[in-house]
Amino acid sequence: MAVLSVRNLKVRYSGKGPEILKGIDFDVEGDDFLAIIGPSGAGKSTLIRCVNRLVEPTDGTITLLDQDVRALKPRALRELRRDVGMIFQEFNLINRMSVMDNVLSGRLGYTGNLRSLFRHFTKDDIRQALDFLERVGLSDHVDKRADELSGGQRQRVGIARALMQQPKLLLLDEPTSALDPKISQEVMALIREIAKELRVPALCNIHDVQLAKEFCNRIIGLQDGIKKFDGETRTLRDADLEDIYAMEVL
Amino acid sequence: MTELTKTPSTPVAETWSRYRFPGSLYRFGSLLGVLVFLVYSLHFLNVDIPLLFGALGGLVGVVAERYYPPDLAYVTDPGYLATVVDTLQMSFLGAIAGVFLSIPLAWFSAFNVSPNQRLLFPLGRFGVISCRAIHETIWTILFVSILGFGMLAGVSALTMFCVGFAGKLFSDEIEAVDMGPVDAMRAAGANPFQVFVFAVVPQVRVAFTGIAIYTWDVAFRAATVVGFFGGGGMGWYLKRNVQQLENLRVGAIILSIIAMVLIAEFISGWLRKVVNRAK
Repeated sequence: MAVLSVRNLKVRYSGKGPEILKGIDFDVEGDDFLAIIGPSGAGKSTLIRCVNRLVEPTDGTITLLDQDVRALKPRALRELRRDVGMIFQEFNLINRMSVMDNVLSGRLGYTGNLRSLFRHFTKDDIRQALDFLERVGLSDHVDKRADELSGGQRQRVGIARALMQQPKLLLLDEPTSALDPKISQEVMALIREIAKELRVPALCNIHDVQLAKEFCNRIIGLQDGIKKFDGETRTLRDADLEDIYAMEVL
Repeated sequence: MTELTKTPSTPVAETWSRYRFPGSLYRFGSLLGVLVFLVYSLHFLNVDIPLLFGALGGLVGVVAERYYPPDLAYVTDPGYLATVVDTLQMSFLGAIAGVFLSIPLAWFSAFNVSPNQRLLFPLGRFGVISCRAIHETIWTILFVSILGFGMLAGVSALTMFCVGFAGKLFSDEIEAVDMGPVDAMRAAGANPFQVFVFAVVPQVRVAFTGIAIYTWDVAFRAATVVGFFGGGGMGWYLKRNVQQLENLRVGAIILSIIAMVLIAEFISGWLRKVVNRAK
């Protein structure tokens, strides 16, 4: 049973705008670490953002954890989003809050309004946050402000925040493209390790083909809103890459 | 890379101009329109420009003759000083009430994070716009007619004024936030209120404090006027003395208003500088 299955997904940002995704189908299975590769503007980010409806699809069906994502009302959508951890290219941390508050914000879906207003999280949440911060190697930076950290450290905060949700699926939107090559390797290794440990499947946008080959068991190649390749990493040939990146002119 | 070295299929243009039809037509057309309206207004209103410049000299004469020397004893009288304090209190209450009321309105009326874009967004916009559309003196007249003369009417009028003033600035500030943290909080399953508290407030906190102080500064200036229309405070003394042709007292009151506004401006400028440094 697939955790996520996407059928005939189409997206247009405005009524007359260009079609960004032109009918995409794929599945994510329980132990997948799936990479989406493709040239800039292929629709990778749009695709991943459709899964938790940060972007509204115009057509097609998305079935996530046995629920029809497009049919959900706001409250039900928020409840589903709690099960999906997301890690962003620009980390998207709250710069003026401490590392601890940033990590705890992953629990907002389970926290009431009054508690959120005073940032009064439960003891269990705090214990969990300390555990995850240790797991990502940031135990010494708990009280620092998020904007005092380096890029790699900030992404680790982002990882810990996503883990706080106890996700059943991880969405990674270019998690390493703001980082240097060495730190990119470390961050990808950390994410894969944790995903394996917690048995969470991951869907990962990535423009670096080498990283995709190294860390992901399956690869989807997108080009201009069309799926050009879908298969296990070892079956990806150079000819397939040529095909995926064929339209890149400059 | 062969694409770059290929001979272009279309010939290279010989010239280039910043102003091209029809963009150039709109540009010069609108500039011409503004100028024509300016000349038309001057002509229609029959503005006598030499008289206008001559009047400046006359103004100095009138001020020297009628308002000098100002009756400073009048404005240092404890009774009058009490109304200065009243004015200060009115502006303070009005600014605080206005700022607090305007925060939810600004949240509703910021399209990017509005809790409900179909209902609350237009409602918030409408609230802020209607507070802004009516001038503070008209608010005062309205509230005086409902609540009677005095400070309550003045404070209410200032509150409405501050809601319009701060609400607009707040919602502009909210619409300019970085949407990254907003996406992150939404992706974690946070509701609109939690998104506001976690992703928006930390980004706008410093700007909000600066705007709130500025709002008080502007409210203080407005507070000197609301008294004129029956809202309480020093403006009431101004009106009475103007009507009684006590020009030397009027001169002193105007001087005291200028002094207070300068002090308020200085304090608010200093406070905003302190807050900005907290970034």
